[in-house]
Formats: sequence, C-alpha cells, structure tokens
Amino acid sequence: MSSLTRTQRLYKALFITLLLFFALVYLAPLYVMLSTSFKGIEEIRSGNILALPSSLNGSAWTKAWSSACTGGDCYGLAPYFWNSMRIVLPALIISTAIGALNGYVLSQWRFAGSNFLFGALLFGCFIPFQVILLPMAKLLAWLGLANTVSGLVLVHVIYGLAFTTLFFRNYYVGIPAELVRAARLDGAGFFAIFRHIFLPLSTPIVVVSVIWQFTQIWNDFLFGVVYSGPGTQPITVALNNLVNTTMGGKEYNVDMAAAIIAALPTLVVYLVAGKYFVRGLTAGAVKG
Amino acid sequence: MGSIQIQQLTKSFGDTEVLKGIDLDIKDGEFLILVGPSGCGKSTLMNSIAGLEEVTSGDILIDGDNVTDLSPKERDIAMVFQSYALYPTMSVSRNISFGLEMRKLPKAEIESTVAKVAKLLQIEHLLDRKPSQLSGGQRQRVAMGRALARDPRVFLFDEPLSNLDAKLRVEMRTEIKKLHKRLGTTIVYVTHDQVEAMTLADRIAVMKDGQVQQFGTPYEIYNNPANRFVADFMGSPPMNFIECVVLDDKLVIDTQGEKHELHVANGDRLSQAGLDTVILGIRPEMMTEPKPHVAGALVHNIPMQVDVIEPMGPDTIAFGQWNSVEVQARLSPEAGVEAQEKGSICLQVDTSKAVLFDAFSGARIL
Repeated sequence: MSSLTRTQRLYKALFITLLLFFALVYLAPLYVMLSTSFKGIEEIRSGNILALPSSLNGSAWTKAWSSACTGGDCYGLAPYFWNSMRIVLPALIISTAIGALNGYVLSQWRFAGSNFLFGALLFGCFIPFQVILLPMAKLLAWLGLANTVSGLVLVHVIYGLAFTTLFFRNYYVGIPAELVRAARLDGAGFFAIFRHIFLPLSTPIVVVSVIWQFTQIWNDFLFGVVYSGPGTQPITVALNNLVNTTMGGKEYNVDMAAAIIAALPTLVVYLVAGKYFVRGLTAGAVKG
Repeated sequence: MGSIQIQQLTKSFGDTEVLKGIDLDIKDGEFLILVGPSGCGKSTLMNSIAGLEEVTSGDILIDGDNVTDLSPKERDIAMVFQSYALYPTMSVSRNISFGLEMRKLPKAEIESTVAKVAKLLQIEHLLDRKPSQLSGGQRQRVAMGRALARDPRVFLFDEPLSNLDAKLRVEMRTEIKKLHKRLGTTIVYVTHDQVEAMTLADRIAVMKDGQVQQFGTPYEIYNNPANRFVADFMGSPPMNFIECVVLDDKLVIDTQGEKHELHVANGDRLSQAGLDTVILGIRPEMMTEPKPHVAGALVHNIPMQVDVIEPMGPDTIAFGQWNSVEVQARLSPEAGVEAQEKGSICLQVDTSKAVLFDAFSGARIL
C-alpha cells in the first residue's frame, strides 16, 4: 500500500468513490421499496420517501400476500404466486430436459441437415413475443388449452426450447467425441451415454438453463396476461392488477411489498445458484 | 479367437476417397500395426473395423462372421484411444467396469474382473480416483484396463502412446508387447511412429493415400521394401536415395570430382532392364568406416566429403554428397570424430542389401 504514489492513491480513491456512487444509484429503488413496505400509510403520506421507517410494520406484507384486492377478488398475491409456480416449474423442467436432449443430438449425433435445424432453432431466440401472440392463441384454442396452466406451460416450453437447446448444444460441443465412441464400444446406447456420461457432466449448464428459464418465465407478463384465464393468472399479472386496483387512497406500502414478493423467487434462485451461472456460461472444454 | 479379414474395403467422404480398396488378412493372435503419414486413412480403417465409421463398400469379417453392418457393441471389440477418452465423472474402477455393466454381467463377476485387471496393470491403488487426478501414464493404464476388462476378440489401439513423454512411451511400448504376449489376443494398432511399428508388430501394413503399400513382417518391410515410399518411411535415419547412371551392370557414383563404380546384387538383371538411370536405395548402416574382415564383390571403398556430423551416442551420422544428393553414413563415434577433423572419409559401402527403384515411379526394380 505504501508503495503507491500520491497520484495513484488519488486515482484509487476516485475509482472507489465512483463505484460506490453507482452502486448507490442502483440500490436506491430497492431501498425505497423496502423501507416504504414497512411504513404505515400515514407515515408515507407525511414523511420523506428516503427516510427509514419509524418502526417495522409488517402489515403491508401480510396484506399484499393474503388480502389485497386484485381486480374483484381480495385474496392477495398468494393464489397467483402458486399459479406462477405451477406454470414455471413444469415449463422449466420440460424445456431444460428437451433442450439437453436436443443439444446432445445436435452436438454428438449429427445427421444430414442437423446444422440447418440448429440454425432454425436459434432463429427462435430472435422472434419477439408479440409476433406469435395471435397464431399461438389460435393454436391453444385448437388444442383446447386456452386459459389453462397447461397452455401457458406449453407456450413457455416452446419459447424456451430455442434458448435451452443453444445452451446445451454449445456446452456439449466441448465434450470430446472420443468419449461417445468409447462408450459405444463399451456397449452403451444413445440414452445410456446421455445418462451415464453427459448428464453427470452437465451440472453447470443445467443451472444456467434453470436460472435462465426460471427468470424468463417467472417475469413474463405478456403471455401471462394474454393466455391466462381468471383462475390461472401468474403473479406478474396479479401484481399489475393489484397496483391498479384502488379502494380509496393508494397503498404504496402494499404495492411495494407485493412487488418485492413477486421478484423474490428469481432473486433467491440467482443467489442460490448464481456462482454456477457465470461458470456455466464461460465453461469451455471438459477436462478429462 | 479373433481373426480379421478385410476385403476390398472402400470409404468415401463426399467426393474424397479415403480408403481405396483395402485387403488385409489378420491372423488370430497377431499384432498388426497400421502405419503411415497423417491423412493416409489408417485411423479411418481402424474406425471402420470398430464399427464407428460406416464403410462405403467392401466387407469386414471377424472370425469368419461378416460384421460389416453390425454396431460397435455387437462386434466384441475394445479400443484404446489416443486421448484415452476416460469418462471424466467416473472413478477409475467404474471406468473399467462400465462396459461390463452395460453388458449386464453379474455384479460379483464385474468386481472380480476389475480387481484382476487392476492387478495386471498395477493400478490397484488408483481405483477410487477420478481421471483428472491421474498422470498421463496412469490414464494410459486405465484406458488399457478398460479395454482388457471386456476380454474382447480384438483390441484396437489408436496411437495410444503419442501423448506420453519420450521415456514413458518406450516403457509403455514394452509393456504393451509383454501384455500381448501374455494375453495372445489379436491387436490392431495405429501409429505414425515407425519405431513403434518396427518394435511391436508381428506384421506391418504401411499405408499411403488410402492404399496399403506393403503388408509384411517388420523384417520384410525394412529389408525388402515394396517401393520407395515404404523404404523412405521405415527406418531412422532414413534410407539414402541416390540417382545413379547405369553402366552395364554397375552404377556410377560421382564424388569429389571422381567417378566410382558400384556393383549391385543381380547386376545382370539391371543391365537387362535397359534403364539409363535408377535410384539406388541404401541404408546408412551399410555405409560405414572401413572395417576389417569385410570383403567381397559388393563391398566398395568410396570417399565422401563430410559436411556435418551428428553424434547419436552409440554411433555418429555423417552427412555428405554423392551425385549432388545428400547422403547419410553411419559411423562409429571414433570414426565420426576423425571424419570431422579431416573433413572427409573413405566409406566402406556394402551394396548386398541395397535396393533399386525406378527414377520416375518409385517402383522397386531390384
């Protein structure tokens, strides 16, 4: 430390100050949300938006979770939270599983036209949601899945496949083809090789796929609002309804608590598995 | 049992013909080496035998059964890969047992086989480790163990030693030879290293451009090469190829402004061939310092100017020029020092094992 010159020390201080400043700017909304959610409605009206709550009042959280009104119903976010879970978990598992198999085939069992197929699948990553709204609505109606959880699961599986396939294909391309050859000579078939050799190597990329899909599907609003029925709305749609439903004055504390509740699962997923996320995205060849 | 017949095998990738009609008859228990420069098709041929590559036409028979259209699994073959291809998430013992598991052998039998193989290859202390915790030589052993455990009809080795350092390579080479002697299972072994080919093989198939140039014992390949390519590929330092004018039944060597005549075996056939020039192929060890008690019609004394010498330890290679072509002679270390001091040497040239090639086609004449 002492070896730094005066100018170097000055630059370092400047650098850290800048970093702190931007971190502060970035964290300010979260701070406002958190502090507001613990204030009473009187305190919000009269006080400063940046002030800390005078006491920790959890009533806004309970209300947001179980009794706030979203449109006509007043059950809070809880039922929609579970709706979201019922959509996200199957869609996540199915799209990751199929993406893994796709990636396995496209990287290790190439066939005539497999590169074209991969290119076509990649194209799916670039199709904006709005473009497919109408045809997908038709398809869901035709399948009898309109306004159902299964319908939303299907939409998210289809939309997610492009991404999960891309993840797994690019990860599996780094696994030496000789491993597959060795396993074939050992008598393992297509699925045995996948199960015994590829899956055990896949933890980092499975985590990437899970985080990605969880965040995408949980945060989705457009599909949720278009393809859901009254009983199958996901939490993002409910949050929107909750914020837009006013009985008397606007309850900022409840809105803030609700918004945090809606964002919490993605945050938890990232905190639990985040270190794998970067590792998985940057993982290259598998060292034998 | 594990004899292999390969009949008129061809393989094309698009318009590129990689194998152009291969015929090989490999006896049960034989150690066969496929050798050739990179791109000669030797690895493709091996993968075809393994069933990892579909062939375009032709047949592969193992013990008389046509296996051309069978999957690798059904051919009862085990292979050792250049990269070892150990399953990275499995322990050494599971790597060895995986093939047996896939074949649904009883658990007790699998365990006893793993123990037996581990003992044979002296890797018992490594059984619980992961491949990433092993050194190159240890991985090599595990890869062989995996192949051995299956007790297949045929072993395939795809350049198994090329990732090892020089010393370990020589050790493992000997070990593979001992193993073959002990097990007596047929081995097909691909390498581009002619020393490995010479030392290991019962028979060698020298390949080039998708064709077998010569198929024979190491002795035949070395001493009786079918063409210039084979002669050049096998042997280190390589054979000398000197273009010579033919004078009746003799060849003319031009060196240091003097012309010398060389007699060759079967010179009468040379004069009948009616060629103006031929390529003389003579190995460096037939060009030495004068040695006593060696005489005969085919032993000549011809001088050579020495440009460079390369001491190898047991002997010294001297570089010079005859007929404006670089030639290498194999001298004793003492003669090498003397030759370097004097700048020239009178070589004793023994043409009894010399071979002659057509100057244009490289085909063998004599």
